[in-house]
Amino acid sequence: MSAAGQTSAINASKEPRVRRLSMSFLQYLVLTIAAVLALAPLVLMWSSAFKSKAEIAVNPLAFPESLNLTNLVEAWTTGRYSTYALNSVIVTLPTVAGVVALSTLAGYALARLDFWGRRVFFYVLLLGLMVPFQSFMIPLYFDLQSYGILNTYLAVILPGIALGLPFGVYLMQAFFRGLPSEISDSARVDGCNEFQVFWHIILPLTAPGVSSLTIFQMLWTWNAFLMPLIYLNTDALRTLPLGLMFFQSRYTSDYGLISAGVLITSLPVIVVYLLLQRRFLLGLTAGALKG
Amino acid sequence: MQRDSVRLAVRPAENSRFWRWIDKNKAGYLFILPALLIYAIFFIKPFITSIYYTLTRWNGYDPVKKFVGLENYVHLFHDPMVWLSLSHNLIWIAIGTLAPIVIGLPLALLLTRVRHGRLFFQTAYFLPYVLSGVLVGVIWGWIYNPIFGLLNYVLNSIGLSALARGWLGDPHLALYAVLVAAVWGYFGFCVVIFMAGLQNINYDLIEAAKIDGANALQQFVYVIIPQLRNVLNMIIVYNLIGGFNVFDIVRIMTVGGPANHTEMIATYTFTTSFTQNNIGYGTTLSMVMTVLSLIVSYFYITLRDRQAVDE
Repeated sequence: MSAAGQTSAINASKEPRVRRLSMSFLQYLVLTIAAVLALAPLVLMWSSAFKSKAEIAVNPLAFPESLNLTNLVEAWTTGRYSTYALNSVIVTLPTVAGVVALSTLAGYALARLDFWGRRVFFYVLLLGLMVPFQSFMIPLYFDLQSYGILNTYLAVILPGIALGLPFGVYLMQAFFRGLPSEISDSARVDGCNEFQVFWHIILPLTAPGVSSLTIFQMLWTWNAFLMPLIYLNTDALRTLPLGLMFFQSRYTSDYGLISAGVLITSLPVIVVYLLLQRRFLLGLTAGALKG
Repeated sequence: MQRDSVRLAVRPAENSRFWRWIDKNKAGYLFILPALLIYAIFFIKPFITSIYYTLTRWNGYDPVKKFVGLENYVHLFHDPMVWLSLSHNLIWIAIGTLAPIVIGLPLALLLTRVRHGRLFFQTAYFLPYVLSGVLVGVIWGWIYNPIFGLLNYVLNSIGLSALARGWLGDPHLALYAVLVAAVWGYFGFCVVIFMAGLQNINYDLIEAAKIDGANALQQFVYVIIPQLRNVLNMIIVYNLIGGFNVFDIVRIMTVGGPANHTEMIATYTFTTSFTQNNIGYGTTLSMVMTVLSLIVSYFYITLRDRQAVDE
């Protein structure tokens, strides 16, 4: 970062002042155009949520004349978005908690404990990083049916945990490898059992790894589409992405209502993203450099 | 920490016989057991069962699965829809990999040069990436709508009405229209990854190239690109795997239409298995995705290991 700043400073001092200013104006212009293109589709859709049908038909680019909440209220009540949102929460929380808890335990064992078959377990888990959900979705459908949990929340929670584990375990074991082993060894010498070592010594150090995993897993579960599409076949169980899809086919050209659906579905993700943006960008950066 | 060790100093005496029996070796199994159980039941078992399914003909509710040997695989090679879908997947991979790199890398380079607003721009570019495929599909479905859509509205208002059309209904354009939406959702990811890569490159080499008389383009091609090799590899592999499995956005925007012009191997698998209830053949189709993903991953791992040896 600082190296980049230095080089551009060196460049700058050699160039005439006018050319430097016009260059930097051009740079910001290109960056701004790209930012507008990135943000405009969502912003326009959000603003349509507050417009009446007539307003949308006249000019999709204009901002709403007044904050008309009819679409949002209708989507939330008759459009059943309240149910979809609740379902998303019911599915996401246990899935994320399960992935984080089980990945932390397993990641720790794979990184720091010796046991026979450790490498085999690791490679079997890596297999899950390489193959898509489609590789096992069809037999799993009939498995879930025979366990009697098809069309229940469990039908997406349990497979959701299994699907998240490969990445979670991989991330956490890489994280645990980076921690010094002296502290846990000294605790062992003091007579701690293995669970106490994990609980009192290791766990307090895991916050950065756990928070990255939590954020990404939350995003993936919240946005999941194919798994709930197949395993949840009742409207009462649908999550937000599914609700939006069926909503779109039910109100094909009522873009006021569809925009309201987009607003409700995207708002939680956008708020979380903006609150934790640094962690999003940093978590990804760390992954990219290790990858 | 201090308080913890004091508290711990008391604890060990309480260790039950069980915890004394569980030493560092056995504890591993205990820690890994819950993850392994869920993983085995909801991933490994169905994954292995899917191989058996490909050898059967079954409609999903008959009590008997009819064993047909390799019939499904023979059918696979003679099924024109498979080759049509795969050709769409290949177009998807080619454009879906190149476009975000061509857009993202220059933006990342610009971002390393400006002094203000770096975090703002990065945040803006990355924002579409956090939206689900369904959201991206619905938003762009509105943009492309022939009557209410934003794109036709803009074209009409700047006097280009001749270009206005039903974008997703046009057999020659639909696939590319969906690709544009996908690239919108993805390019910011590339910007952020490239920024990370650019922070780690050696700027002395660029200075050296400048002294040797390299122009900006030469510096870029011969000095910057080679140093971004790891990042580029990662983006390409993500896209190869993701490109063979693409489903959400296509399902939402076109459902494979018009007349199969956007059919992908994943959407074809979905309709075969869950709409036509042709479970044996549907599973065989999903095996195509499995095998392709494994091949790509294998190449990526060997490539990475060879690079690790080089460095």
